Amino acid sequence: MMTAAQPGATAVKQAIQWMLRLRESGHDPALQQQCREWRAAHHEHEQAWQRVIHLHQDLDLRAVPGAGLALQTLETSQRRLHRRQALKLLGGVAMAGTAAWLGKDLDAVNTWTSDYATGTGERRSFALPDGSLMQLNTRSAVDLAFSDQQRLVRLKQGELMIACSPQRPLLVQTRDALLEGFEGRFVARQDSDCTRVSVSHGRVAVHRPGNGPLQWIESGQNWRLDAQGTHRLQQVDMDAMAWTEGLIVTRDMRLFDFLSQVSRYRHGYLSCSDDIADLRLSGVFRLEDPEQLLQLLPRTLPVRLRQRTRWWVRVEGLA
Amino acid sequence: MPSNDSVQTLYSDHHGWLHAWLRSKLGNAADAADLAQDTFVRLLQRREHLQLNTPRAFLRTVARGLVIDHWRREELHRAYLEALAQLPEAQAPSAETRELLLELLERIARMLEGLKPKVRRAFLLAQCEGLKHQAIADQMGISVRTVERYIADALYHCYLLRYTDEC
Repeated sequence: MMTAAQPGATAVKQAIQWMLRLRESGHDPALQQQCREWRAAHHEHEQAWQRVIHLHQDLDLRAVPGAGLALQTLETSQRRLHRRQALKLLGGVAMAGTAAWLGKDLDAVNTWTSDYATGTGERRSFALPDGSLMQLNTRSAVDLAFSDQQRLVRLKQGELMIACSPQRPLLVQTRDALLEGFEGRFVARQDSDCTRVSVSHGRVAVHRPGNGPLQWIESGQNWRLDAQGTHRLQQVDMDAMAWTEGLIVTRDMRLFDFLSQVSRYRHGYLSCSDDIADLRLSGVFRLEDPEQLLQLLPRTLPVRLRQRTRWWVRVEGLA
Repeated sequence: MPSNDSVQTLYSDHHGWLHAWLRSKLGNAADAADLAQDTFVRLLQRREHLQLNTPRAFLRTVARGLVIDHWRREELHRAYLEALAQLPEAQAPSAETRELLLELLERIARMLEGLKPKVRRAFLLAQCEGLKHQAIADQMGISVRTVERYIADALYHCYLLRYTDEC
């Protein structure tokens, strides 16, 4: 409720101008005199002046002890708050719009510029504009939106490894979440029904649309993110980082799951009969030549390969 | 001010729903319970009459503001702790100073909500770092006149918030 005694907008704006001019001039005596005259000219001026001075003192952080961190704290938290609001407001809607929103939020938008992609069986490394390293696994595609304000990678399909350079967080958008990587190294894989994230160094923050508090993924952890929520995987049957060195490393992995993994690296049909799907496999396998890798199977497991064409392979029991 | 009765009715009819809604936003039952409570306290403090035609939309509006406040606090704490971690231990302020500063930062962050990012930044460079207008212009790659306008706009924005809300 405004009362009649409120100074008008013009007086307030003038008072602000006076205050700024005085501050800027290091309180120049001539200017101070002029300001006193302006204040004395009208009761409304003096009233506006007093209010502006009080307001300015309240907002003056220079004199507060420990305020050296204020700017950084305010800027960082504001950026994250907006990102969080955007994500939560989107609710269950697909994340496609988030990137556009993030861009808007952060002022300087780059449209999605570079496209990076790999074909089946291909693995490639890229140096990102900020010095981070990105490696793409087989059948993967990402878009980048990098600007002075943000570093955003959209994982459209497949799997990537990011080794973040330390300047600023790097964002990776997948269908299920927005990942914020700090200095460190992590892998994200977009599966048909979830996103898998593994961190080998540093930590990653998970922002999800709709619900849930911020989730941190720490070094050494593996998580599954899907429509139902975020789940830490206590046991994994495959080393999440091994592909970056051209390997599949399994621990007690089901044969069926192993073949699903191998089929990501080769064309054509690859599966197994039900009776052997649950056989377990542990070992280190080279990804270079998936065909040769398959030839190894009968040596370690009681199975044989049934190959109709080069592109149609079925693993069956010996019986 | 709404009568206690109408808030009472609102409470018994919609508290469970509001709690569930908040919980879906916050992912945490305890925080959701706190904010649901705060939402009704806010209503009791309001001076104008309640618009009861669409009570849930109304509650959601109030509650959404509180959720954002809650997140702002969380993000400020997190960003501040990260900034502190970069300081040598000897320079770290006492726990009491930290609390005070965080309170102040929260007040400022709330006030600056809604400002354009460049206006906000110019203002903060002046208020936090004590930079002169010329230095801000150089750093941001804009003219001194624009810097002056941004800072004056930001102050006027804060003025309106402070002196129109309180009376």
